[in-house]
Amino acid sequence: MIYFPTLLFSIQAYSATTAFIAGTLIVATVLFIIFTSSKGSDDKLAEKHKVYHVRDRYFLILTLAIIVGLIISLRFLPYEQYQGKPAEEVTVVAMQWAWKMAPGISNATPEAFTGESEITLPANKLIRFVVTSQDVNHGFGIYSPEGLLIAQTQAMPQYKNELEHKFTEPGDYHILCMEYCGMPHAYMIGTIHVK
Amino acid sequence: MTELSPAEKKKERKLIVIWSVTFLVLFPFLVVLGYMMRLNQAERIHLGMDTFYTLLTLHGLGMAGILFSISFAALWYLIATRYARLKTGIGYFVYALIVIGFSLLAFATLVGKFGAGWYVLYPLPFKGTFWAPWATGLACASLLTMGVAWLVGIIHVVSNLAREYGGFTNLLGWQYFKKGGVKRELPPVVMITTISTVPGVIAFLTGAVMLVMYVLQIFEPTLNYDPLLMKNMVMFFGHTLVNITLYCCTGWVYCLLPEFTGRPWKSDKIVVLSWNATFIFILFAYFHHLYMDFAQPVALQYAGQFISYLSAVPATAVTLFGLLAQLYHSKIKWSAVPLSFLAGGAGWAIGGFAAVVDSTIAVNTVLHNTTWVPAHFHTYMLMGVVFFIFGFIFYISHTKEELDKDILGRVGLWIFAISGHSFIATFYRGGLRSIPRRYSDYSGIPIEHVHQTGMFLAFMAVIFITIIFVALVIIYTALFKKFAKRRHALVMEPAAA
Repeated sequence: MIYFPTLLFSIQAYSATTAFIAGTLIVATVLFIIFTSSKGSDDKLAEKHKVYHVRDRYFLILTLAIIVGLIISLRFLPYEQYQGKPAEEVTVVAMQWAWKMAPGISNATPEAFTGESEITLPANKLIRFVVTSQDVNHGFGIYSPEGLLIAQTQAMPQYKNELEHKFTEPGDYHILCMEYCGMPHAYMIGTIHVK
Repeated sequence: MTELSPAEKKKERKLIVIWSVTFLVLFPFLVVLGYMMRLNQAERIHLGMDTFYTLLTLHGLGMAGILFSISFAALWYLIATRYARLKTGIGYFVYALIVIGFSLLAFATLVGKFGAGWYVLYPLPFKGTFWAPWATGLACASLLTMGVAWLVGIIHVVSNLAREYGGFTNLLGWQYFKKGGVKRELPPVVMITTISTVPGVIAFLTGAVMLVMYVLQIFEPTLNYDPLLMKNMVMFFGHTLVNITLYCCTGWVYCLLPEFTGRPWKSDKIVVLSWNATFIFILFAYFHHLYMDFAQPVALQYAGQFISYLSAVPATAVTLFGLLAQLYHSKIKWSAVPLSFLAGGAGWAIGGFAAVVDSTIAVNTVLHNTTWVPAHFHTYMLMGVVFFIFGFIFYISHTKEELDKDILGRVGLWIFAISGHSFIATFYRGGLRSIPRRYSDYSGIPIEHVHQTGMFLAFMAVIFITIIFVALVIIYTALFKKFAKRRHALVMEPAAA
């Protein structure tokens, strides 16, 4: 089994890093080949055909990579119908520039809804956050105690976005706003105490 | 088309020189804004939150605006001098509107403090703002002015090309699939101009409708639009604008690179098919901006990932491989023009790949609105589009002999590539460490290590941007020496003619 030090990156970030480094290395290798090839043969047409011969193989590999990439990655979608049955529900209303959170589903309008910027939730249970906004777009981003973004959804006025997440470790998780919402956007903080 | 007279050629050359100099002046000014923002995030200067977001807005909208404008102007020049007669007067009209639009935008932001970000995400310009409603109105007017300029320019170019090549479908290359063969070859730059700009018309009209809706709300504050619809509209407009900017650049690479390699680069069935597919992908890839809007229908989220993945096929297997086929064993002399084109191709490939990674929904969950996103589009724009533009400006300002002798330009381009990619690496690293984007500073983040990492990476960015300025001074010295040399004549023979 591969060991991922979760303190540094999330599994998705590891996948992104690996893919990106591999891609960049391929580009660098191709650049090197092109640069060092400039003093080559006189038969320009034959050289061109060599590249197009490689292209045929590349096309097959790329098609295969796209199919495999889609099959694997589309199994891990963040949308609620893919997550299971939640044990607890939390209403979240974003406003300029604070978070209002309370347990249960609220029927109050976003403006009338009262909640706190801190909430305590259980570990190892699937939680459903029903997220909306009372003014502009915000982004509900959950950061682990180590400072990794582990889940997010947009908080949009007139819409409810349902985000489901299981906190596997106890600790203090923070909510940062992930969508620019006005001047103090970078200071719009909430806290989830997971016990 | 009939050959242009020397006087007509001179007119077109003057227009593209004016465009190039305008770009060369505005570009470093907008880089300075980015420099100031990174300095603020590094906590080396204190801009204030309002000023930060004002600069962010001007930096984003200004860059997108001038990069598309110069890219379109370069295509205009090539088409007007080689493929179809265009009215220079309309070219100046487009130029004047862009300058007016940019000036209004600068006024709305720097004086009016308009700071809603490039995407003016509805309903942000109407709630909790730190700027006056007139600044929102002026910003909308500035964007509408630029939009009208682009629409007028595109319609003029495409309609004249269609007349020259016997109909619109011929510009798309559909004659390559008809029986009886092709009567007249379609230059790739003509097809690419059409395929890059026609989706632009649809996007600009969508953007114009959205901006008019904004203006209406300024006068009638009780209006209330659907925020999800507005977000779809703005992302369609913004994504398309940036996307087609790069595709415009590939047009002149197809056109000019063969002059250096001596190898023809022509349209054929594969090239036509791939660019027609690109036409579709340009229109629908924007869905990947809305993955975190869970209210968006899931089918569109799937479509976003599927189309984003597929768009890599024509881009790499046809255009980038075509670029490699031009260069491989071509005995080319690596002057500033082919060097810029190859570097631009590399920036496009790396930036595009970073986009494909982020267009994976499962990955987007942890990268969306982190600095991974500016990492991707800075690679795409700064290391892709700007390189292509530099290549083009070297082409129109230097003769072939001058390019072969030039060392300064090449040195500048190398420093630009190294410092540019290093600067962007700070964004990539930040994205992987969950540093959020569009943060005026990181001091409000209660997780100390996120705050410190964000600040440190911003400081590293400042160092690399300083080196970018050095590179720009060198590149500009090489370019302006030639512009100054010919300032009276303004007749510069094409580099490789």
